[in-house]
Amino acid sequence: MSSSVGADCTELKQKYDNCFNKWYSEKFLKGDTTPECEDLFKDYRACVMVTLKEKGIDKLLDESRKEAPFPSTSFGDNNNNDNNNQPKKS
Amino acid sequence: MKIFETGHDYSYEWSLVSAAHWCKYPNEKATHVKCVDVLNQHVDPETGVLTMERLFTVKQNVPTFILKILGSDTTHYVREVSTIDPRTKTLTMRSLNLTMSNLLTVEETIQYKVHPDDSTKTQFTQQAAISAGSSVVRWGNLLEDFTLKRFQQNAATGREGFHKVLERFVVMAEAGHQQQQKAVRSDGQNNN
Repeated sequence: MSSSVGADCTELKQKYDNCFNKWYSEKFLKGDTTPECEDLFKDYRACVMVTLKEKGIDKLLDESRKEAPFPSTSFGDNNNNDNNNQPKKS
Repeated sequence: MKIFETGHDYSYEWSLVSAAHWCKYPNEKATHVKCVDVLNQHVDPETGVLTMERLFTVKQNVPTFILKILGSDTTHYVREVSTIDPRTKTLTMRSLNLTMSNLLTVEETIQYKVHPDDSTKTQFTQQAAISAGSSVVRWGNLLEDFTLKRFQQNAATGREGFHKVLERFVVMAEAGHQQQQKAVRSDGQNNN
């Protein structure tokens, strides 16, 4: 399994990865799109955010998200700059 | 600007290929990819499409003349957004470099789809647009040429590495399936 840019986050990442991979193959691909692994993702992501800020990668991401909005940019993250004009679903 | 395009057929069906691609790194061929992080994910409740945003940390040696243009840090970051539509069986990934973007941009689009002629296979297409920015007017062409060659090399090792990942993935998937079948059979015997 790949490691995280935040060395301390790798263990949290791998727990999340295991959960995600299982969900992807056993649920998502079979038509059940109910999200799982959300708690694991929250913990892992919180850890990575610290590293992103430390290394200044968060600023690079913000610029990239402004300048090159990819299609389908509704990432489900309330802190992101939302680059699309789709109405937010409540 | 330099454009790179390539295509390839994988002799595995799409569901397996799309599942394996999350496990593509690390692999012994693509040693330049050091870390992969998931930043955001979202499933659209209406379309069922999964969107993932990932960050790749890449470290690769470059010739001295490039170091002089780009600076001495060989660690770079790439942002990728991918969409997975399980109904149309399409996985599309678009990525853009985060670092050095004032000097050079590499925008890549990859797609994995069910092969139109053989549903047991997966068709892979890859496109990249490489362009040096205005800050490197003098060396721009040289930088683009080098980046294109490097991209081609990475694409080739990427495919080789992914093949190995797929082979391992198939073995694990089959082992899992056999275990499940054993459990079902012994359950059936116990119930009789």
